[in-house]
Amino acid sequence: MSVRGTRDFSHSVSPTSGELCGGAASASLPAPSGLPGLAPARPRSRAGTPGTGRACGSRSPVMAVFDTPQAAFGALRPVCVQLTRTQTVENVRQLQAHLAGVSGAALQELQEYVLFPLRFALRVPGPKQERLVQSLVQCISSVLAATCVKKQELLQELFSELCTCLAPSPSSGKAAPLSEELKLAVIQALHTLMHSAYGDVILSLYQPSTLPLLGFAVSLLLTLAEQEKAKQIKISALECLQVLVLQCDCQEHRHLDEDEAQQCGDLFASFLPGISITLSRVIAGDIKQGHKTTVSAIRLFYLIVGLVMADKQLARVPKNKEKLPVEHSRISELMIHRGPDWTKSTAEKLSLLLHKVVESSSVHPHWKVRLELVELVHHLLQNCSQSLVDSFSHLLKALVGLVNDENSEVQSRCNKVLQGIAEQRIVAQNRALADVLSENLHSLATALPRLMNSQDDMGKVSTLSLLLGYLKLLGPKINIVLNSVSHLQRLSKALVQVLELDVTDVKIVEARCSRPPGPLQQGVQKGRHQKKYFRFFMEEKVFQLLQQVCRVLGYYGNLYLLVDHFMGLYNESGLYRKQAAMILNELVTGAAGVGVDFLQERGVPLNVDDLKGSITSILDEYMDQANWYLVTSIDTEEGSPEQSVQHLGHSVRAREASSSVLLLSPEPPVTTRTMNSNIWQICIQLEGVGCFAAVLGKEFRLLLLSALYPVLEKAGDRTLLISETALGTLADICEACGYNSVQCLINENSDYLVNGISLNLRHLAHQPRASQVLDTMLRHSDASLLPLVEDVIQEVLSALDQSYNSQASTFLRVLHSVMTALVQWFGTPSAEEQQRQTDKGQSRARSQGQQEVTMTSQELERFFLDYVSQKQIADGDLPDLEEEEADEVPLAKPEPSSDTEGEAPMPIHAQLARDVMERCIHLLSDGSLRVRLKVLDVLELCVTMLHPHGNHLLPMAHRVWPALVTRLINDDPLAVLRAFKVLCTLGQTCGDFLRQRFSKDVLPKLTSSLLSQAPVSARAGPVYSHTLAFKLQLAVLQGLGSLCERLDMGESDLNKVADACLIYLSAKQPVKLQEAAQSVFLHLMHVDPDSTWLLLSEVCCPEGYEPPHASLRPVKLSGMGRPRNELTDNVLLLLQRLQQQEGTGPGTSTQEASPS
Amino acid sequence: MEKFSAPMALPPPDPQFVLRGTSAAVHTLHFSCGGPEPDIPLLFSGSENGFIHVWNLKTHRVDSALDGHGRKSVYCVETMGGKDRLLSQGRDQRICLWDLAEGRTSVTDSVFTEHVGFCRCSLLKVAQGRWLMAMAARSLEEVQILELPSKTSVCTLKPEVGAKLGMPMCLKLWQLNCGSQPVLLAGYEDGSVVLWNVSMGKVLSKLICHQEPVMSLDFDSEKAKGISGSSEKVLSIWSLNEQQNLQVYKTHELVNAGVSDITIRPDKKILATGGWDHRIRIFGWKKLKPLAVLDYHTATVHCVSFSDHSIPRERLLAAGSKDQRISVWSIYAET
Repeated sequence: MSVRGTRDFSHSVSPTSGELCGGAASASLPAPSGLPGLAPARPRSRAGTPGTGRACGSRSPVMAVFDTPQAAFGALRPVCVQLTRTQTVENVRQLQAHLAGVSGAALQELQEYVLFPLRFALRVPGPKQERLVQSLVQCISSVLAATCVKKQELLQELFSELCTCLAPSPSSGKAAPLSEELKLAVIQALHTLMHSAYGDVILSLYQPSTLPLLGFAVSLLLTLAEQEKAKQIKISALECLQVLVLQCDCQEHRHLDEDEAQQCGDLFASFLPGISITLSRVIAGDIKQGHKTTVSAIRLFYLIVGLVMADKQLARVPKNKEKLPVEHSRISELMIHRGPDWTKSTAEKLSLLLHKVVESSSVHPHWKVRLELVELVHHLLQNCSQSLVDSFSHLLKALVGLVNDENSEVQSRCNKVLQGIAEQRIVAQNRALADVLSENLHSLATALPRLMNSQDDMGKVSTLSLLLGYLKLLGPKINIVLNSVSHLQRLSKALVQVLELDVTDVKIVEARCSRPPGPLQQGVQKGRHQKKYFRFFMEEKVFQLLQQVCRVLGYYGNLYLLVDHFMGLYNESGLYRKQAAMILNELVTGAAGVGVDFLQERGVPLNVDDLKGSITSILDEYMDQANWYLVTSIDTEEGSPEQSVQHLGHSVRAREASSSVLLLSPEPPVTTRTMNSNIWQICIQLEGVGCFAAVLGKEFRLLLLSALYPVLEKAGDRTLLISETALGTLADICEACGYNSVQCLINENSDYLVNGISLNLRHLAHQPRASQVLDTMLRHSDASLLPLVEDVIQEVLSALDQSYNSQASTFLRVLHSVMTALVQWFGTPSAEEQQRQTDKGQSRARSQGQQEVTMTSQELERFFLDYVSQKQIADGDLPDLEEEEADEVPLAKPEPSSDTEGEAPMPIHAQLARDVMERCIHLLSDGSLRVRLKVLDVLELCVTMLHPHGNHLLPMAHRVWPALVTRLINDDPLAVLRAFKVLCTLGQTCGDFLRQRFSKDVLPKLTSSLLSQAPVSARAGPVYSHTLAFKLQLAVLQGLGSLCERLDMGESDLNKVADACLIYLSAKQPVKLQEAAQSVFLHLMHVDPDSTWLLLSEVCCPEGYEPPHASLRPVKLSGMGRPRNELTDNVLLLLQRLQQQEGTGPGTSTQEASPS
Repeated sequence: MEKFSAPMALPPPDPQFVLRGTSAAVHTLHFSCGGPEPDIPLLFSGSENGFIHVWNLKTHRVDSALDGHGRKSVYCVETMGGKDRLLSQGRDQRICLWDLAEGRTSVTDSVFTEHVGFCRCSLLKVAQGRWLMAMAARSLEEVQILELPSKTSVCTLKPEVGAKLGMPMCLKLWQLNCGSQPVLLAGYEDGSVVLWNVSMGKVLSKLICHQEPVMSLDFDSEKAKGISGSSEKVLSIWSLNEQQNLQVYKTHELVNAGVSDITIRPDKKILATGGWDHRIRIFGWKKLKPLAVLDYHTATVHCVSFSDHSIPRERLLAAGSKDQRISVWSIYAET
């Protein structure tokens, strides 16, 4: 005999019984459950009526006082008798109080005995006090909570008696205005009853014969759930209903076997219309009813629908209705046969209801409701995916829509459910469901462009997440959709339309690359795509969703088909091109499985060769001339060649008519809009290259052959956006192919680049870009590159030879970078050389300096000898110095290069420098100032480069000279400035050669311009320092000193220089000019301290000089005793410096004297 | 606009790509692209610095550089069978046989030719694993035929006393069909082309085609027609009649003098010449119709070679030049 021992009466404890129990705790510690042979029939740890039926378990101090039935009987009998006699609330309370002291096992024995007076009281005819009924019901429920109902009759009777309590009394004929407490008590009692039915006993309720009774209860409870105001009652009624349809949440009910479930399903089918309609009303009801009610209603809804419409059950329904025994003929009419017809019509009706339910609850403000909706979809999808297939259009829509719910719990649950659906291949195995989805997809795709036009960003987000959800759910079945031309077209058109870029921003076109031609930044961030602006949305989230849509398509879809389709769109119209390219990029990314959120793995793993094939064909298309070289600016410098390229592109490439027609169409005037659009197209394509690299990884190295050159070309583009994007792409490529830096990438693939450059140089129109790439390459490589690029540089030169007029400025840029690179790679020896020369100069200065300090007769003699020889040199009368002789020889010859035959061949870099210098000669007198300036820069580098090769430099210098002189004396001040710089460099390396020419051709002009300009600058205001004239003066003054020193100018020339510069020592001159003039004199002090001293002293002499011997005439200098004037300060300063220089060690003096 | 005007003369075609990095003049080229898919198409190049470079035509990079001729110019490279066996001839007077299988780069055997000129040897497969090789021998006018890989001498072809042919300049060993008698065509310093019966060691026919030494010749055994070029401005086409007599068929005047190499494409539709004028010329073989002038190199073109890709569309033409570059052209579409 099993007794429910684990339960006690804690729920119905009154204050007194609480004390009592507390006191009795120690007396009866052995728990009732420990009674031998009294193992519980089934675990009922959590069971009980809500609110009242909570088991307290071991924690509870309440203990049964009467453990044995005999003792309990003794205790209960008086109260039961009392109650039977007089039915009062007080007596009921008494009984209840006593019950608390009876153990569960004992009470089980006395169950019917105790119930009798209670039921009797309920059955007493005539109106009853409501409070009495309530307490009776409560007491019954206490008893039931502690015991099991083991008899079918008892269960049915109790069930019907309890139901009757709620029913309108037959006399009044209308619904009794019962108190809410009573209703609640009855509901709870019913609930308890259902839980206390033992074993199979409960099933006796679910027989065709009890159908009316059940129906009665169901309708009662439904009425309560729908019409009551109190939340508690509503919820309890719904929960009770849930128990009633055997779908209780608690775990302790017996699991029904298939046949039993089938039978119940048949029964409940009768209630389905009532329940589902009422519940749908409840669900759609006022929000004020509280979310709990709605949640319970939804749960009940899907449980009952899931049960009645379960695919499994419907499959087992026999064709014909079973005949019931004759005595049940009336009931038989009530029974429903769940045949195909019924199923179909019910599904249709349910579809309407479900639609209503989904509509109201998917937007319910409380997240728990939405969560329950997810469960609804899940449950129905699990159980009724066939019977309710027509409803899934709504259900899946709701589910997919909730993926982006604002509540994270809903989101994650939703994702899990979707995942589950995908994993169980519910869609994959259910053709009908796949059809529903693809139908949904189709209609969504059709509406998409319109929605995108009309919806706000939030709306777009939800629409697109819906689209994404469909795609994800379809998974590998996507191909069914894609294989249908109309579906694919709808979808692609929609995507293309939504992704339309906003190309009105003028800034994109205007933003030029201001980056100085320095090395490409090392730390270019990778994968950072340019922020795009779309015509139809602003929200970033929308774009992300679109990205995901494309990636998912690429992940599951047939890549060849998709690429082919979108390539078609790409080529179809310029309107679609950018979007199609964007989509293609994402498709490929998705196909590689990068950055795709998918619910289920695709069946067939990706074939790398296929991917590579697709990528190669896309790249070919992207980098086709017609798509890669677009007009992006109307720069005079770049515009024209770019455009001619386009034409050339057509004529050269007789490609498919379609694509060329597009470009050949009468050329529209290039508007900002088109240029902006072109810029974006290039950027998107560049980003694509980056994507492809990322996707292929090291495999991409093979494609660098064709892809690197075009990307590098764009890295040098003048449009900021393009060059930035290209740099990003380069970074992507580096990362994907495993190069440490862009430099590495360029270096290790220079052969590919050289190939591209060389081939492109062959076409006039491509030359500017080819030279740009060469430029970039040179900036990123080292000397090891030279053998590879040598022939290309020669090609540049010969290309330049053929187009001096049109391309000079572009090529000069390259020549400049060639020379810069060469100087950087091979330029070090010249620096040493320079050092040596300065040393030479210093030692001479030193010897002069020392001789002043300690004047012995020998030294005096030597001084004179030195002086004589110096003077000879100054006059150009050279003594027997062989190397200088050799320098002079080639000058005499008109064709000096013939002289070089016998010598060892020049290194390549020097040869290049010579060849470049050769070109500079021609370009020095170019019409454009810009070109001339650039040429002068290049020339300076050439001179530096050729420095160690005097035999070659001098003849070149000879040839350059006339043109250079013209620049120096007869050109724009800017050019003069640069030319003067070149002159200084030239002076460093071939001083002797220059000396005479300089003094003859240039110096007079310089000094006279200095002299003539001096009054102007002396009078000028502060603004003057911004004028070109000032800069020119400054440059000349700054350079003249060192130049004189370098060239070792003769005395007369030095005098000329000193004269011209003296006036700049005036305090009236701008400070900078004064300083520069000082520097001239400091240099002069080095060359000839004595004459400088004399000159300065002639201007101003602070102190008198006593002759050391009376026989010598007294020293008389014109500067002595002069009043202070504008020159005084600077002259004194210089004299002081001179004194220091002569006095202190030569090392320090030279340092100070060297111009800053 | 001129865009719409009738198609102008096509602009000069560009090489498909250019291989750089031999760092010396390129003297000979040989493709090996016939293998099935996983095989990488290769191009062998021999250059003046004695290296044989193995170019990977997928990456366009040198896979390996073979050094077997003591840094003396390599002027002939041929494969024997597959790409794993290679024959090379250099100015060190040696012909080397290479084993390149599985990444090896070893010389397995070599023949000392003692020939000081630069006459390329000619190879003919006579049976599976058996080749005949004709090469200029030590004494000035002789040609020696060896069997490979055994290196046994088959015969030595000596012109009659007093023929004054001079040194052999170019050789072409061929046979009409498998099993028939191998025949040798040799171009000599005096400008004559001689047809030798190899097995009998006898001159079958002799034709004076040029006034200057014959620099290169190629022969189409199907049409029984051959072509030769010399340092002159003339290409000479000659035919071989039933009686095994060589007859001048036609001559073709060139713009610039000097032809260093002539190759008829394996499908016998076109031929290419490499000229001292830095240009590659393409002619239709049937009527010697000039098809294209490929202008890229900046120095003499030393050699031209057609690839043996199995798919016609992929076939290539390569030319090696003194300017140290190898230009590769895709000219299939234009024929």
